[in-house]
Amino acid sequence: MILYQGEIFTDELQMKLIDQLKIDCYQTINHSEELNTMEVINACDILARKVKAGEYNDIILPLLTEFDIPYDYFIESIPMFEKDSLIKKCEIELGNNFEHLPDLDKDNRRKICPLGILFHIAAGNVDVLPAYSVIEGLLAGNINILKLPSGDRGMSVKLLSELINIEPKLKNYIYVFDVPSTETETLKIFADIADAIIVWGGDVAVKAARSMASVNTKIIEWGHKLSFAYATLDASEKDLKRLAGHIAMTNQVLCSSCQGIFVDSKNMDQVKSFAKKFFDILVEESKKHKLVSLGMRGKNTIEIYNAKLEQHETHQVIYDEKGMSVIVSDDHELELSMLFRNVWVKSLPREIIIEKIKPHKNHLQTASLLCNKEDVSELSDKLAKAGIIRVTKAGDMSRIIVGESHDGKYALREYSRIVELAKTT
Amino acid sequence: MGRYTRKLFSRRKIYDLERTNEIFVKAMRENAIFHFEHNADYKRILDEASFNPRDIQSMEDLFQLPFIPTLYYKHHEMFSMSLKRMPIKATSSGTSGMRSKIGMDIKSLWYGFKMVVRTFKYHKLWSLRPVTYIIFGYEPHKSNQAGIAKTANGFTFVAPSRKKVFAIKYTKDGYVVDLERVKQALIEADKKHRPVRTIGFPAYTYFLLKEMKSEGIRLKLHKKSKITIGGGWKQFYAEKVDKESFYALVKEVLGVKDTNCVEFFGAVEHPILYTDCRHHHFHIPVYSRVVIRDIDTLEPLPHGQMGLINLMTPMVKATPLLSVMTDDLGILHNEGCKCGEKSPWLEIIGRVGIKDITTCAAGAEKLLDL
Repeated sequence: MILYQGEIFTDELQMKLIDQLKIDCYQTINHSEELNTMEVINACDILARKVKAGEYNDIILPLLTEFDIPYDYFIESIPMFEKDSLIKKCEIELGNNFEHLPDLDKDNRRKICPLGILFHIAAGNVDVLPAYSVIEGLLAGNINILKLPSGDRGMSVKLLSELINIEPKLKNYIYVFDVPSTETETLKIFADIADAIIVWGGDVAVKAARSMASVNTKIIEWGHKLSFAYATLDASEKDLKRLAGHIAMTNQVLCSSCQGIFVDSKNMDQVKSFAKKFFDILVEESKKHKLVSLGMRGKNTIEIYNAKLEQHETHQVIYDEKGMSVIVSDDHELELSMLFRNVWVKSLPREIIIEKIKPHKNHLQTASLLCNKEDVSELSDKLAKAGIIRVTKAGDMSRIIVGESHDGKYALREYSRIVELAKTT
Repeated sequence: MGRYTRKLFSRRKIYDLERTNEIFVKAMRENAIFHFEHNADYKRILDEASFNPRDIQSMEDLFQLPFIPTLYYKHHEMFSMSLKRMPIKATSSGTSGMRSKIGMDIKSLWYGFKMVVRTFKYHKLWSLRPVTYIIFGYEPHKSNQAGIAKTANGFTFVAPSRKKVFAIKYTKDGYVVDLERVKQALIEADKKHRPVRTIGFPAYTYFLLKEMKSEGIRLKLHKKSKITIGGGWKQFYAEKVDKESFYALVKEVLGVKDTNCVEFFGAVEHPILYTDCRHHHFHIPVYSRVVIRDIDTLEPLPHGQMGLINLMTPMVKATPLLSVMTDDLGILHNEGCKCGEKSPWLEIIGRVGIKDITTCAAGAEKLLDL
């Protein structure tokens, strides 16, 4: 399915439309009046209210179930698209006077302009994400070309055409194509037209985007990330419970989900008894949440069984039950867990946090701290220096706050440029 | 050594499970003892589970025999004899980048050959009439060791070949998909009224047929044509195609009846050939037994319940493949089949953990085998 200037076309017309794309985009830049941020915000606000009122529940609810996204988490994220939130977002990201920047000096004025044309390569992990990416592009005033992720169920096209219905001016600013990632030649055409490529997805997607961009095309990467918890031995039971609850709720699939726990101790016996205690809590907390899907439980049961067969080499200590596990390893490596309520526990004395975490550079995202008040400042500082973007409390790793940065950056700033104009004297 | 395995693989009735239970257990016992004595890692696994292969007396004992997940073969080269004695070293197609390394000894290959001959005979797949082969797979080349490429090419000896067309051709730039050529070959065979046999992943066959349908192509292939598919329906999960609509598409575009669509199932880690009957059920042949295990406890489940598929066969000596845990979910049916075979049949539901492709945690693509 293709969405082109507000109209929906079948994929057969793809080549014809792509031939026309550059001309149409340039035409929009040349002749249309600039996209006003407030118009975009108002349209989003109306759309968000419709979503909240359940107007699209027939498509949204099955998707949430299928993708294991908790309903509450989804509802919590809707206000992000409402008027006040979006205004706050623009003010935080672009500055309070984003619509009328103060002059640079007496001879020069300034204005925030869009980059021009953005090419979004969306990831398939959350269906609303491609539409979200386009909305951010629109807020900065850009024309947006969106490549749908494989397996897209039509959600993005639905939401974006609704947005165009609400504000018809947007139709020249939204182009959605369903081109598979393997059609690199076509993707290269988009990349050549665009001022910047916005790429969502794992390392493979990011690499592919880098390879298709010419040197004068900007690449903005929203790559996959890893998050973890850092606990001292005196971490409170309440915090451990909240962390276990977060793990069971997100099933560790989000960038901000906890993959494992680093314990501030060199003593492996202490680390093991911490792990056992956490395992018991995880089993209990897990009961409060929806069962993990059969397929994922099955996959993990086999992987845990396999880990046991390899125990003589890995020296892991494994606590497990029904596809859920806490596994103690004797290394200090940050790594992906088996996901779906399988947590690693490793020793990481605070003295070596920077040495062990920093090499993960751009993969780092959230760390939650489970420790005494006295330790918070020292540990937060170490984690921040090591490259962590967000230090949170135990259960808040995936919290959503209006105006928060995205992986340490402000999207709207990435999608804009400051233009300085000499005043006429 | 190997006397019961030889007997098992010499049976003429390939679906007569009841009368081969005893010999199957004995063959498994001798195979387990062989690996126990010749493979230190396998011995360790059994020792850790306090399992002595000499104690195997019954089918129930086999349920207790420690199974090995396919994942384990990807991390460990488990050979029970020297590499020199293995004419074939196959690797699984390994979409995740990790591949199992499995060795095959000459005796196992001979058993496998006998199994294939009997199975094809039972399913009336042998033919003397030359056919056009359409292979929805890789053109063989020394750079490709994947088991599926070997099987697909090997299969072209079942009937004399007039012509072989590969959907994935080897060129100087590596492998390239060329479905246009396949389409032309099908149209030509139809014009010249020559029987066709297609072999390969269902997904490729499906996409080509869909394209041909949208172009309005309707063929009526020779009635001796057969559409054979194998390699799993994994790529279909996003498309949600069920087998019935696949067979309907074959009928519509190629004019081949669904009774001439034959599906195979097998794995590098379990080189037994499963062939579906005319009601499209994979009956269990005498060469293997299937245990369905609970996804949480790994305990065996009764017939009719869904769980993890654990496959057993005493066929191979080079690598301990006697009890393998697959990544597939399935159900073992014992309610009888209209084809008349009493052997239970295996319904494969799909890969575990493939559905939930919803993560943005770094590195998860590999883990989830996407």
